[in-house]
Amino acid sequence: MKTNHRQQKPLARKEGLVIKELPDELLIYDTETDRAHCLNETAAFVWQRCDGRKSLAEITRELSRKATAKLDDKIVWLALDQLSRNRLLIDPAPPPTRQGINRRDMVRALGLTAAVAVPVVASIVAPRPAEAASCLPGGAQCGASVQCCSNLCNDGVCAST
Amino acid sequence: MAKLDRLGWADGMSFTAYGVRVGVRVNDAAILRELIARLPPGSQSSSAHRVDHLYSLTGFPTNSNGKVRRFNLGYWNLLRFSRSQSFDNLLDEFESHVQLTVAEYATRRVFVHAGVVGWNGRAILIPGASYSGKTTLVEHLIRAGATYYSDEYAVLDERGRVHPYARPLGIRMSETARATKIRAEEFGAQVGSKPLPIDLVISTGFKAGARWRPRKLTRGKGVLELLAHTVSARSQPELALSVLPKALESARIVKGVRGEASEIVELILT
Repeated sequence: MKTNHRQQKPLARKEGLVIKELPDELLIYDTETDRAHCLNETAAFVWQRCDGRKSLAEITRELSRKATAKLDDKIVWLALDQLSRNRLLIDPAPPPTRQGINRRDMVRALGLTAAVAVPVVASIVAPRPAEAASCLPGGAQCGASVQCCSNLCNDGVCAST
Repeated sequence: MAKLDRLGWADGMSFTAYGVRVGVRVNDAAILRELIARLPPGSQSSSAHRVDHLYSLTGFPTNSNGKVRRFNLGYWNLLRFSRSQSFDNLLDEFESHVQLTVAEYATRRVFVHAGVVGWNGRAILIPGASYSGKTTLVEHLIRAGATYYSDEYAVLDERGRVHPYARPLGIRMSETARATKIRAEEFGAQVGSKPLPIDLVISTGFKAGARWRPRKLTRGKGVLELLAHTVSARSQPELALSVLPKALESARIVKGVRGEASEIVELILT
């Protein structure tokens, strides 16, 4: 049976997240994966409307209203795809990118729409404490593993990372 | 801890740094003086009997006892962080370990691994990993007249201002060499004493022959750049996400590879 993607109701994950809203962006720290994300305005708009009640079609309509332009569903799909990959959705439905629709085609289609920014989720892995401090590179003399960037001091020499 | 407690400790002290209470005990009173010189900037001696972290060090400054190999040992609480035949190694490792401990457990300050200078009453931050060239850039900036704040940590308060963490610069003569410590004053620089708001964040690394063509980042992406070098990012993400956006409220943030530090100093300071 074919699923009607437009009627899917995505639900944002909220547990285990530290959220900080900025005027045009949204910062999220995932305490389960120790990854931090920066959602641009479009990605944040979509994520904030993933309440399990609004359908994809409704989210697209709201985004169109905000942009005062008729937008394609694909822009919301692209946002959902990135949110899903970063584990920011609960039980996400497989987006079109995994159903034979090429991601590049999506971006190309969105490129025709200047009314709204392409959704972007930028991410980093938060460092462990020792990774955020000065350390010795591979080959340097060391007395203990804690000194080395590789965290391995072997026979007085830091192993390569 | 009981086994460690049974060792004969000749002397000890406690201090507070950025709200973190630390105790140190040693097997030889003479060692304590050397350790005091290596405490984090801003440390204040304390009379507290209860501490959050306890360092136990057995060191042998004159380790020339014939055939007997005596190891210099350092413990942080129950965890051994140093075992070396060189007493200087023990001191170096104590210094970096205690700085990291304070940076991670400070509850009202966020420590970002970064070089910092002051310029026209505002701060320039250069976050980056080890060997990205932070200290080199800081050295060139202070030679050009900027005020020295730090070559190791940007210490941010709850209002997002940067405080000085003015330990001597760790200058490396080669990539695998240990850093030589040189005081900022020896470069003719002034050392900052007041907290400053951030004007500019430069996320950069050295690449031979590269041209300086940085791109601007948004505030959110700037926060990610700083968070990637924040010591307590994992242990206190709420604090980091509260402080870092404030710190960048009116800051410009740029990112790009650079060539020689001397080529971009003027561009940064104009």
